[in-house]
Amino acid sequence: MERLFAEHGGALQAFLGRRVRSRADTQDLLQEVYLRMLRISDPEAIRDPVLYVYTVANNLAKEHAVLDRRRASGMDIDEVAAHEQLETLPAFDSDLDAARRVARLRVVLKQLRPKCQAAVALRFTHGLSYREIAARLEVSPQMAKKYVAQALAHCRRRMARLG
Amino acid sequence: MTSKDEQVRAVIAEQAGEWFVTNDEGPLATEDSAALVAWLKASPAHLGEFLGVSVVARDLREACVDPDSSIDTLIARARAEDETLVRSLWPRVSAAVFPSRRWLTAAVTLASLAVLSLGLSQLWSVRPASQVSMPASVPALHFATRHGQQLVQRLADSSVLHLNTDSSVTVRYSDTERLITLTSGQAVFEVAHEPQRAFRVLAGSAQVVAVGTRFDVRLTPEATLVTVVEGRVAVGLSATSAAIIQVGADQQLRVAAAEWPARPVAVDAERTTSWLRREIVFDHEPLEQVAAEFNRYAPKPIAITTPALRSLEISGVFATDDPDAFIAFLRSLKGVRVEVTEKEIRVSRE
Repeated sequence: MERLFAEHGGALQAFLGRRVRSRADTQDLLQEVYLRMLRISDPEAIRDPVLYVYTVANNLAKEHAVLDRRRASGMDIDEVAAHEQLETLPAFDSDLDAARRVARLRVVLKQLRPKCQAAVALRFTHGLSYREIAARLEVSPQMAKKYVAQALAHCRRRMARLG
Repeated sequence: MTSKDEQVRAVIAEQAGEWFVTNDEGPLATEDSAALVAWLKASPAHLGEFLGVSVVARDLREACVDPDSSIDTLIARARAEDETLVRSLWPRVSAAVFPSRRWLTAAVTLASLAVLSLGLSQLWSVRPASQVSMPASVPALHFATRHGQQLVQRLADSSVLHLNTDSSVTVRYSDTERLITLTSGQAVFEVAHEPQRAFRVLAGSAQVVAVGTRFDVRLTPEATLVTVVEGRVAVGLSATSAAIIQVGADQQLRVAAAEWPARPVAVDAERTTSWLRREIVFDHEPLEQVAAEFNRYAPKPIAITTPALRSLEISGVFATDDPDAFIAFLRSLKGVRVEVTEKEIRVSRE
């Protein structure tokens, strides 16, 4: 694999960049991100764990750490925000490209109860805060958060099982 | 993926969803950040579900755009939805082989009540093994695993036997007794509730009596380790009926004939039984111990050639059936060299 990469590095890189990597590769990538997590000895060192995780995942994916672990090097997590990192995060546990994933997610979404469907649409498509969602659905902010969390968990497991 | 794995995954996904929302709501408080880091570090499965949930949240922005129905229609339906009529959001995969946790809890509760009404002596009778009545006509079933192998076996009474690597048991059921002999290795027993027939496990110098519960028994050359996951068991020596010790959930009792009676100590039973999920969990444990644990499963043994490395502390969750991932982890440690030879995996100081 490494020889192949050396010979066709450029083309392969372009290919991997365009296509979503295989399930085995995402598992390797996940393991690598996890190892990075484990090496943090002082939890206080991380002000924003989510940004940290996204950044590590993206850097490792970009640098093809799966093909060549040694290349995964330093990073600067102060430069960008978590939502920017999320944009380029590879889909873990799924071999599907973005368009097919979204199409499948639409089907999964329809199986959710109406409160969960409305809550995620208001949050992720319309950008309402949890307080605003609660007001629109006439529930408490606690319940609004619960509907979104449940919907995410349910969609995630359905996607992982289908993927 | 088995239904039990999927149930565990579903629980982790729920936690991941909650963490995502907490973070999504606004900057995390310092203690929440620390708690999230701890949660993510606890298992690669946690990290995987968190990243998976994140990707779903991102994809939902597009997926929620529905040309066929407006957001107002969706809100109206959501408001009209009757909370009391909602069926469970989680269509649990039916657990045919594995009794659910709830079922076990119920069984344990019933078992405790039965014990109270019938009297302890009758049910929790720890007797010398030689006095356990087992007619010769009762057939004995043998189950065994090879190195690195595991086995799940449903028994005639619906109890479930999980055998770990290099283990063997004999199962004999009569009308009055369910007798299991662990002759080597480690096993977890999910005991079906049957007040009329005690479930008795003989392992080395120990005997464990249960009615309906879940517990782990591991035979080592020095002692027998009994760990209770749910419910309560009575433990004694197999040779005598003296000094019966009660062991409850998340407790472990070390049984050695020379050191009896012993006192149960508090443990994380989920961790002791992580082998059921084909995982081994280490929390700041010396490499020597970690290697010994790994060698129970790995096709090639790990040998530590630099004595100073024996005490190196290791934390993490590893797959028992994926030694390569563990080798990769060792390689990632500073100053550690890993050499894979034909016979063994040599770990030394760089």
